[in-house]
Amino acid sequence: MSTLSQRPRPRTRLSLRQGRRGLLYLALLGGGLIWLYPFLWALGSSLKSTDGFFSGGLNPIPSEFHWSNYSEAWTQADFSRFFVNTVLFATGTVIVTLLATSMAGYVLARTEFPGKKLWLGLVGVTLFLPHGYTIIPVFDLIQRLHLLNTLWSVVIVQSAGGMVFGTFLFMGYFTTIDRGLEDAARVDGANFHQIFWRIMLPLSGPMLATVGLFACINAWNSFFIPLVFTLSRPELHTLSVGMFNFIGQNSTAWTLVCAGSVITLLPIVLIFIVLQRFFINGLAGAVKQ
Amino acid sequence: MSLLDTREHRRASPPPPPVAARPGLGRRIRAAKWSYLYLAPMAVLLLAFVVYPIFASFGYTFYRWNGIGAPGNYVGLANFRQILHDSIFWGAVGHTFVYAFVLVPVQLLLALALALVLNNPKLKFALFFRTVYFIPVVTSAAVVGVVIQLMLANFGDSAGSLLAKTGMTDGHIDWLGDPHTALAVIIAIGIWHTLGYNLVYFLAGLQTIPAELYEAAKLDGCGPVQSFFRITIPMLRQVGVVIVVLAFIGSFQVFDLVQVLTGGGPYFATEVVNTYIYHLAFGGSAGAAAEPDIGLASAASFLYGLLLIVFSALQVLALRGISRRRTAANQ
Repeated sequence: MSTLSQRPRPRTRLSLRQGRRGLLYLALLGGGLIWLYPFLWALGSSLKSTDGFFSGGLNPIPSEFHWSNYSEAWTQADFSRFFVNTVLFATGTVIVTLLATSMAGYVLARTEFPGKKLWLGLVGVTLFLPHGYTIIPVFDLIQRLHLLNTLWSVVIVQSAGGMVFGTFLFMGYFTTIDRGLEDAARVDGANFHQIFWRIMLPLSGPMLATVGLFACINAWNSFFIPLVFTLSRPELHTLSVGMFNFIGQNSTAWTLVCAGSVITLLPIVLIFIVLQRFFINGLAGAVKQ
Repeated sequence: MSLLDTREHRRASPPPPPVAARPGLGRRIRAAKWSYLYLAPMAVLLLAFVVYPIFASFGYTFYRWNGIGAPGNYVGLANFRQILHDSIFWGAVGHTFVYAFVLVPVQLLLALALALVLNNPKLKFALFFRTVYFIPVVTSAAVVGVVIQLMLANFGDSAGSLLAKTGMTDGHIDWLGDPHTALAVIIAIGIWHTLGYNLVYFLAGLQTIPAELYEAAKLDGCGPVQSFFRITIPMLRQVGVVIVVLAFIGSFQVFDLVQVLTGGGPYFATEVVNTYIYHLAFGGSAGAAAEPDIGLASAASFLYGLLLIVFSALQVLALRGISRRRTAANQ
């Protein structure tokens, strides 16, 4: 009697647990759909006709596919130029950031020199000072260097903002590399530059990917800096600034705006999905330290 | 966070040679010439575009200056006085604080709940879900703002007619044009946009908690709720402090979303400090086409910077104090 009454119990429990797990997956999936809904809606709406856009409302699925929205956005709305500018801007920022932060991270991690502690202290303090309130003197400085309204100014200012974070990441990474490697290379007659460029830098692949990806994503999405430094030169606008201006001037071409947002968002989302482990590990490492 | 990095580094490097054996300063500097050269690009960029501007912007605060030519019209402390008496500035400070103090707790609670779910080792596709919830983070706030603006233009009517059936409104809601709803909408979008950061931070924190702790607690008869409050929360405290500080720093700097969604309007209802400063410095304020005033903008920047430094210091002290007292109580 007792054995009979006990037997079904584990089974109901199990199915209950399975049911609960199923519900959890459903909730996570549903939540995920809602979470990404703005992107799905933009993607769908970018293919709608103008009438379909207004009658479709929040339904992301277009009734017919208007691929011409993309060609129009690309050529007539100048998104091709914004795209090229953004690629140049992001590439330049990644190169400048990687060069400056890897070199600085290396000497701070592996060499001793007078003033090192003072410098590290200063760098630490800048982390706590509010940034972004200093745009005016930066603007003035760029103006005096005659770099205003050039892509260079945007690259330099954007890179400068990422210096501290990248340097600290490289410093932490170079500290963990075995010192024996450098000693062995020195015994073999390698000089300072050869040790860095031929041995240490190639060894720091994962960190190059992490810092580079951070710089790339931040540059791609940057709005304030390109807005301020290319204000009067529309031909230098990046995607996010171009989009902002396009809306100001064409308040009705919504399907083109949606196509423009897909052109802006899709590349960086794809880059992130492919390289996400570097990005996430970098973030996780930074917060754990 | 990264300061600890420095400490780590010091521990790893060999002890400095005794003072007596040290060569002279000049020789040591000369011996380290390559170190300085390698440090130079980073140092120049940081000094020119981060450190110098902090001092320079302080200098501008004493001038009435439209940004063209050299500042010449010295006005003493008048800019500070004007800012301190400007109700729009204090309104902007208020909106920024409302933004931060609503966003941070809601976002962190949501992120923690999601992290706890995704941290379950038995959960399949955890990586997939993490990617899904992280994606908004890597997208441009400016562009996302535009897309959501378009959605709201459509959504305003669909949701508005739904609400009209319940008799709450007359059918049309202008979400971003109504001073009562605009800031709330911006906060909701802000929560959505950067939640992924905190999700990843919490996941990283959860993964540092050894599984044995939970097993031991289970053996001692602890339920999941008890082990959450007795193990998870205390073990997350250190990472938690960093997460809270970072979340506040980020929220106080909000600009892109507001600029794209409302430009600070309607009637300054969503003006945050960064848009306020931008309007002062570059004109194009909502409504009035004011002459750019760099001195005034710098004074506002400086005052807000001071406010933030004080707030950050208090926050760090308070969080450290709580954390220390709790640890002491636990021992």
